[in-house]
Amino acid sequence: MAKIKSRKGIFFTFIAITIMALFILVFTPQADISLQKDTQAVITRIGSVDSYVNDLESRYFETVLRATTYKTILSLVFYINSTNPASYFTNFDSVFKEVMINGTINKVPIDSITAKKIMENNTLTNWSNAIIQAAKDTLNVNTTIIINDVSAFQTKPWNIDSSLSISFTVKSNVAEWSKTSIISATIGIEGLHDPYYLVNTNKAYTNQIKKSSIEFNQWDITKVREHLRNGTYVHWENSEAPNFLMRFSNTITNSSCCGIESLVNPNKISPSDQIDSYVDYIFWNPANNIPCNQLYNITNPQTGGGLWDEFRFFKLDFDHTISYNITSQDAVRTC
Amino acid sequence: MMLKKRGYFFVLDAVLGLFIIVIGVVLITSSYVNVPKPAQVGLLSDDLINFLSNTKIKNLNNQYAGIGGELWLNGIITDPDNSLLQQAGEFYATDNSGIADRFISNVTQGVMPAQFRYEVLINGVILYPKTQTPEHLKSRNSTELLLTSKKITFGIVNKTTSAIWGPYKAEVFVWQK
Repeated sequence: MAKIKSRKGIFFTFIAITIMALFILVFTPQADISLQKDTQAVITRIGSVDSYVNDLESRYFETVLRATTYKTILSLVFYINSTNPASYFTNFDSVFKEVMINGTINKVPIDSITAKKIMENNTLTNWSNAIIQAAKDTLNVNTTIIINDVSAFQTKPWNIDSSLSISFTVKSNVAEWSKTSIISATIGIEGLHDPYYLVNTNKAYTNQIKKSSIEFNQWDITKVREHLRNGTYVHWENSEAPNFLMRFSNTITNSSCCGIESLVNPNKISPSDQIDSYVDYIFWNPANNIPCNQLYNITNPQTGGGLWDEFRFFKLDFDHTISYNITSQDAVRTC
Repeated sequence: MMLKKRGYFFVLDAVLGLFIIVIGVVLITSSYVNVPKPAQVGLLSDDLINFLSNTKIKNLNNQYAGIGGELWLNGIITDPDNSLLQQAGEFYATDNSGIADRFISNVTQGVMPAQFRYEVLINGVILYPKTQTPEHLKSRNSTELLLTSKKITFGIVNKTTSAIWGPYKAEVFVWQK
């Protein structure tokens, strides 16, 4: 009898232990839950910082590069306009880089020379510091940015491309990102003043870049008149014209991709009557002097045609009379 | 006779034990139900800021803020490639916080479940809701769980002059009513 009693007690004890064990198993996986929570927090944190790193690389620096390139080119034009006499840059690339990164030219703030607040707080260094501070305040990450190089070049006649090489490190409490990137941006040149006019006339004659809307096979004397009157620019395939950036350093050679040219208005220069083609890069380049027997006065007293009624003494070389489709009705040989 | 009585005692003991277990389980599970769901609120705040930063004006179908909408026709929104967050940041940068309030209210309509409240801030300044009702403040102050998601935003305010605004800290606060 006593034996049976003790067996039943063991049976209920087993049930109680089993139920307890089940409860412990069901309700005490606390370590797993907290680990999962931590993992989720780390994933979220890494996701936030990763999004910032991507934004920094693909959007922020692209935006900053585009804006700073435009402001730098604008400042360089104003710089030429502020120097007396107006002069070209001997090394455009190094000047461009210095203004982009530091806002200085030969270590002097360019804004103090141009008397215009363009580069103040707008250099690559300023914008790098701004994002470093914003990232610290917003995401509590430490960002280090090193600007390796920056340059400007042209691959299309009406645009300037800029390229920025940067190395950056982003350190958070959970991970670290290190990258080296090449960022590219493009700006249009329309609206900018042509430095070639500023220097050659010592700022007496300024001309803003404005693309002519005339197609290459649509030219005639009426359109040339408008072209000259408006000071518009044209790009001819395989011409001898320099591109816009070459005009900062007086590099008057052909730019195979991007040469642009305008016509010099004889009413805006002194003396108005000169024995040369009035295509800008020919007119002011002594190396491009055209002998008078290869020049054409764009007038014809016999027909009354041409442009001398409005632009007296305007002349073009033979190649350009062909390009602009000017016929003998409107032109006579100069000598 | 004694044996039978002890059997009842153990059965009664087991039933009582089961009852206590059931009550315990009910109490524990109901207490879990009442705990706010941090993951859900956290996801909502992330979702909201991601929606604002990833949706562009040109992709928005909205009579007030989309292309061809009121702000577009009045020349207040000019860049279709701006994200909604960038547009709000631009309004902040150009001192148009009143427009920012209505803009955010319009573009986030239906994005957040009705049982949640939220705020959008740029550089610590509340853009939405600009006018905070007593209910809103009470709800914010009494909530047990208020979660935030942050992003950096920036943009160009004038493409002609290449004037950049930012970088600003954009924050979204979300909590349950």
